[in-house]
Amino acid sequence: MPATAPATTTTTSPAAVKSMFPQAKSLSMASSAKPALSLQADTKSVATRSIAPESIKSTTSTSTQQSLTARALFEVLLGITGKDFVLTASDDTCARGIVVQKRGEDKSRALNKNNLMLFTGEAGDTTQFAEYIQCNTQLYRIRNGMDLSTRAVSSYVRKELATSLRSRHPYTVNLLIGGVDPKTGTPELYWLDYLSSCVKLNYAAHGYASYFCMSTMDRYWKPELSVEEAISLLKKCLAELKVRFIGNLPNFVVKITDKDGIREIEI
Amino acid sequence: MLDFLDNPATLAGANRDPDGDMHAADFDPVGMAPTEFAHPTFSVPAIADPVAFLKHQTGVDAKNRIKIQHGTTTLAFKFNHGVIVAVDSRATGGSYIASQTVKKVIEINPYLLGTMAGGAADCSYWERELGRRCRIYELNNKERISVAAASKLLANMVYAYKGMGLSMGTMVTGWDKTGPQLYYVDSDGQRLKSDLFSVGSGSTYAYGVLDAGYKPDLTPEEAIDLGRRAIVHATFRDAYSGGYVSVYHVKENGWEFISRTDVNDLIYQYQAEEKPSLV
Amino acid sequence: MARRYDGRTTIFSPEGRLYQVEYAMEAISHAGMCIGILAEDGIVLAAEKKTTSKLLEQTHSNEKLYKLNDYMCVAVAGLTADANTLIHYCRNQAHGYSMSYNEPIPAEQLVQRMCDLKQGYTQYGGLRPFGVSFLYAGHDKHQGFQLYLSDPSGNYSGWKATCIGANTTNATALLKQDYVEGCSLKEAVSLAVKVLAKTMDSSSIGADKLEFATLSLGANGKVVYRPYTNADIEKLLNDENVKKIIEDKEKDA
Repeated sequence: MPATAPATTTTTSPAAVKSMFPQAKSLSMASSAKPALSLQADTKSVATRSIAPESIKSTTSTSTQQSLTARALFEVLLGITGKDFVLTASDDTCARGIVVQKRGEDKSRALNKNNLMLFTGEAGDTTQFAEYIQCNTQLYRIRNGMDLSTRAVSSYVRKELATSLRSRHPYTVNLLIGGVDPKTGTPELYWLDYLSSCVKLNYAAHGYASYFCMSTMDRYWKPELSVEEAISLLKKCLAELKVRFIGNLPNFVVKITDKDGIREIEI
Repeated sequence: MLDFLDNPATLAGANRDPDGDMHAADFDPVGMAPTEFAHPTFSVPAIADPVAFLKHQTGVDAKNRIKIQHGTTTLAFKFNHGVIVAVDSRATGGSYIASQTVKKVIEINPYLLGTMAGGAADCSYWERELGRRCRIYELNNKERISVAAASKLLANMVYAYKGMGLSMGTMVTGWDKTGPQLYYVDSDGQRLKSDLFSVGSGSTYAYGVLDAGYKPDLTPEEAIDLGRRAIVHATFRDAYSGGYVSVYHVKENGWEFISRTDVNDLIYQYQAEEKPSLV
Repeated sequence: MARRYDGRTTIFSPEGRLYQVEYAMEAISHAGMCIGILAEDGIVLAAEKKTTSKLLEQTHSNEKLYKLNDYMCVAVAGLTADANTLIHYCRNQAHGYSMSYNEPIPAEQLVQRMCDLKQGYTQYGGLRPFGVSFLYAGHDKHQGFQLYLSDPSGNYSGWKATCIGANTTNATALLKQDYVEGCSLKEAVSLAVKVLAKTMDSSSIGADKLEFATLSLGANGKVVYRPYTNADIEKLLNDENVKKIIEDKEKDA
């Protein structure tokens, strides 16, 4: 916490509490202005860890019954809203047991021109569910001659997950849905989990990454970020993951969704 | 109660939406859609929960347990001259070696190969089914199916049976209009495209040799040797892999069977060779 | 001969017609007239009730105009009992959409869904088409205020001003003549009153024979549905000097 903010939790003022909720209109931390985000990359490269080979036998069987969350938590999804865009990042690694099966995987699907969905979770479920949603949003456009809004599409996805949750085979997927209104350029970001929670946020993270990145984003995020500022904030988050997170995630797929569409960028 | 078994599509996303969205029935209002792509259906034990029953018979604590055959090393990689596929030939049921002469490369058709890891029956059944579908696709469309489409067919089929006890880790490879292709498909429904995969209990050992020696511009001879060596080294360390190494080379005009060699001979042959220089 | 082709809805006649659907439309052309007029700042729906009697108990439920959701309402011409079923379906669809997408259904989509159902009844065996036409007044963020018409065949169309029911030929002619593009809601309401007064068969017009409703935007930008009370209608008839219009009409006759 910055020095000017209340120093202990016991004396946290209602205003300070409010600042923990980014949706709240006024920010009590206004007194300590958000620091300017540097435009330089401050990513430090850190040596990658090697993994101990003890448990190879038990985990490389093709019929691993590993629990979903254990594996999914190592996957990283990040989303940051800016002035008129949403910046998203996902790691590009597919792992099974202790083996990395692939680097370079894109864990997102474009639902329509201005809406992007990122996903992690149970192998198989993720792409099946994402492509099912993608097909239906595209079908909607063909049938009705208009695209679903970010709010409508996330509500639709939430309903699909809620229905699935009580079925015989629920989809175990965690999602971020980012998009902009093509007319006004207003960005929206929704955080959904496999229990079909759905929250609209200014910035969001899934998996263990949230333990490392949420505080960074709490500290530096402010309304109306420019693309450069958002990228700088994202770099801070990814740098923190490189330093503190045990998972070895060398590459991220970074995308910007704005009213011109969705594009992948190098950072 | 077991209706879902007759129509596993209901388990997947297709039939889930009550709000007029994509719906299996939408495509076939009067039963005229071709049925050749319908999921195969099976007779199941006349009990409430066949999946639990299967677990009961195959689980580690079952009395007189039915041990499903597991344990394998398979690999495949793309390089400038196509795709190399190499596999071992051992089948095990627990600590018992059931066979040393299993064919783990499944010749789906003259242009498509599949590999076998996990349940032998599951792999050969679903890849034979895949072969049938690919042939029907060819008859309908007057051209060969792409590897991307074929692997997606397989992934969708097994995804419909997700959680019901299938065990399958396979690589689907071939040469289509877009060149050599390599996909990994497993019984979770996971489907990945990449240049290099290894699957099975010995896969980490195979990766160790393969990753160290792999580059895209290997000659065919070097690539074949690399694939073969990777399997041999895996069989050396992994007790559940062994027997013979089979190697295939996927080329523009279809696959070619290269060799089948006793790993025992190869291990002695390799040990007699001088180790390559490291620097 | 014709009887061979009008007993079933699913059978075409040799001339390529579906008699049952045409009969349904015929039934509607005897129903009380409904008028819809699109204005710059809203829509008016007006309807004539045919079943009036001194002995009839006055109920609170409407006969001709129904609200579908907060953004849409319809006027009904034809079999009211059929209309009830369809309106029930329509309300379900509208709220099902809200449930799924967390926003109101676009007006045209709701009309489409209703028409898909209507169409089904002209094709499947053993069914009778719905004997109802609707005028839909709606508002959405995509296209603002919209006026649609749907008939028993399952066709629908968008209009600036139109009518369904009895005497539509006369009423359409009057609307064509007097409709002003971009008129205000107030002007649209008085046009609706005039057209009704000039085309209704009966010699006296009172609140007991009419239903009126408007859709407009409130101060907060929210859509406001305003069904007219009997007092509202009496005042409206008074303001528009309807008595004189009727007297003129009878003089001409």
